[in-house]
Amino acid sequence: MGAGHTRFGVREEGPRALLRNAVDAAFSSVDRGASRRDVGEAFLATLGFGGHQIGNSSAALAEEAGLVGVPVTRVENACASGGFALRSAAGALSAGAGPLVLVAGVEKMTDVTNARRRYWLGVSGDTEWERLAGLTFAGVYGLIASRYFAEHGDASEALVEIAHKNHENGALNPNAHFQKVVTREEVRAAPRVARPLGLYDCCPVSDGAAALLLTSPELAHRYTDTPVYLDGMGAGTDYLAVQERKDLTRFHATERAAHEAFRSAGWNRSDVSFLEVHDCFTIAELLALEDLGFAAPGEAPALTLSGATRRTGPLPVNPDGGLKAKGHPIGATGVSQAYEIFVQLRGQAGARQVAHAGHALAHNVGGAGATATVSLFSVG
Amino acid sequence: MAAVDEDAFTLGATAVERVWVGRPEEPGKVHVHLLGEFPPMADWGFPALLGREGDVVRHADTAEELQEALRSLEEGDDGPALVVASELPERAVGRARPRAAGPGAASVAYLLERTEEASPLDIGKPASGRRAVASTLRLGGPRIELPRFVTLVGDWDGPTAAEPTAPNTAGRPWKESTLSAVSEGAYVPRARYLENLPSRWRFLSETCRGCGGTTFPARGICRRCGRSDALTSLALPLDGGRVVAITTVGKGGQPTEFDYQVESLGPYDVALVELARGMRVTLQVTDCPPGTLKVGDRVNTMLRRLYPMEGEWRYGRKAVPAPSSTLRRSPG
Repeated sequence: MGAGHTRFGVREEGPRALLRNAVDAAFSSVDRGASRRDVGEAFLATLGFGGHQIGNSSAALAEEAGLVGVPVTRVENACASGGFALRSAAGALSAGAGPLVLVAGVEKMTDVTNARRRYWLGVSGDTEWERLAGLTFAGVYGLIASRYFAEHGDASEALVEIAHKNHENGALNPNAHFQKVVTREEVRAAPRVARPLGLYDCCPVSDGAAALLLTSPELAHRYTDTPVYLDGMGAGTDYLAVQERKDLTRFHATERAAHEAFRSAGWNRSDVSFLEVHDCFTIAELLALEDLGFAAPGEAPALTLSGATRRTGPLPVNPDGGLKAKGHPIGATGVSQAYEIFVQLRGQAGARQVAHAGHALAHNVGGAGATATVSLFSVG
Repeated sequence: MAAVDEDAFTLGATAVERVWVGRPEEPGKVHVHLLGEFPPMADWGFPALLGREGDVVRHADTAEELQEALRSLEEGDDGPALVVASELPERAVGRARPRAAGPGAASVAYLLERTEEASPLDIGKPASGRRAVASTLRLGGPRIELPRFVTLVGDWDGPTAAEPTAPNTAGRPWKESTLSAVSEGAYVPRARYLENLPSRWRFLSETCRGCGGTTFPARGICRRCGRSDALTSLALPLDGGRVVAITTVGKGGQPTEFDYQVESLGPYDVALVELARGMRVTLQVTDCPPGTLKVGDRVNTMLRRLYPMEGEWRYGRKAVPAPSSTLRRSPG
């Protein structure tokens, strides 16, 4: 019933101020107002990138949110921290922790040296066998993309389309890190970071925070006339190292999470109006469309190139620009996806508003598919 | 002067492989000298791996013994010789003089030296500074083949007056500070590195007598059924792997530990390689330009320098394109 968001990008604020601003915005967004005294529990999603308060950061959230005394738990599942924090919050609500539960995600990533940043960008994968063979996540997703191309044919143009589309969407999002259109030719011409992936196939390093206020369905109308409902959730894990998995082109954690989410919500795929998927690299959006059940294996490139996933298409994907253009402050991302769904379903997304948005899916992945959550939301 | 692969150049420690020195058509007697408790060469039977029947294999346990071995190399002249020294004790001083080249006399002196003393180090021009790392490799006489150990790029065309005495100083691919400067990398403690050496160097896996499953890297528990009391060690073949996926890591895509490599040598390939029994391992690719290998290609592996950590180089396997069938793979 409430959601707040800072602008993503290179921010002057530190992690505490980012948190405070996002939480304040979440409280301000509650139509009939909400008291901080109603918050019974809170969850903080953050990796602690660069060593920012790497331990016990929950207390910092309690301070900045004006909730000192309230139990707070930090959730760290790498890039999927936000999704798992939301899951924890939903569980806490079910267990009677309300009336309100706060979920906040934050990451401050741009204030460390380049070398230190690249170290922290690699801490969420297998260290000994993958990273120290010379791979960061760009490299791991480069491997995945090469395998995808080998199994399903060259999908380079679909990746170009994803980068172009998500930048186009980001250009309409005042919270996005990148708010400019990138032409397909610019995407193609960019230097390769981990072949076949180039610079524009990779999400940026961003600062930012997002926050959500949750309440139980029976109390929702105390706070707003247009609550957004969390109808179903699922989560999963997989082997940390990609070399341990039999299949590179499918994330079983996502498949499991999606199966659980759709089963618990009682939805069909055709119910979904738009998707927020974890496009840390463009290839990840292709995998997501297939793992989530919106395209058969190998069919996501054709779906993408058909224009169906554009903001004005029949199945918009990442209308906020995705991680690709909006930015990817690690702990904030999963929370930010829910924020976007909150404003879209309530018709408050402004220039990037998706038409006929009634049901939405959020898909949050940690590492290269080692952890994942899928959440289903509806309005009305 | 043959150009020598830089990775191999610093491979001082880890002669796990069969090494062959001598004329291909008439292998000469080989003197093999090993130094160092780490890697545990004696325990793993490395001297036997290194030498062949008729070879003189000597295992030196101390720096003094190594120096003695090196002196005997200089004094005697009865065949090709290989010196492999690893993990010299702190302040140990080594001495090796490349032997004269000549018909029938192949010699290799290869020494990795860590010392704070400059003298009587005589292995070319040792690197300056503390904890200097110096190595030398001289190739003389007819063709020398060191399968898996050293890759020669191009043919040796005889000694020249200008032959450098220090290893490839022009193209030295790392800075003096490389070893000490890396402090922000993902951390693999030395203890864990050592613990996993059998899997890293010999592709040691474990098969389960209970369910028949194979687990790699070996971890003391069957990945399929969870049993830990019915495991048999099995070294997977080092050669004949298949590329499952491959990427070229360009500037900005490398972990911090590989900055020196990208800066000096440019982009590199990393492949996911399928070994026997469906086991997979992530390996950097070497000895070919980036982009050479494709998904489905066959690769062999070589022991190479991997990354610096805790002030030392860590070694492990890298993938190389499998040679065509006309090339000689290994003796015997």
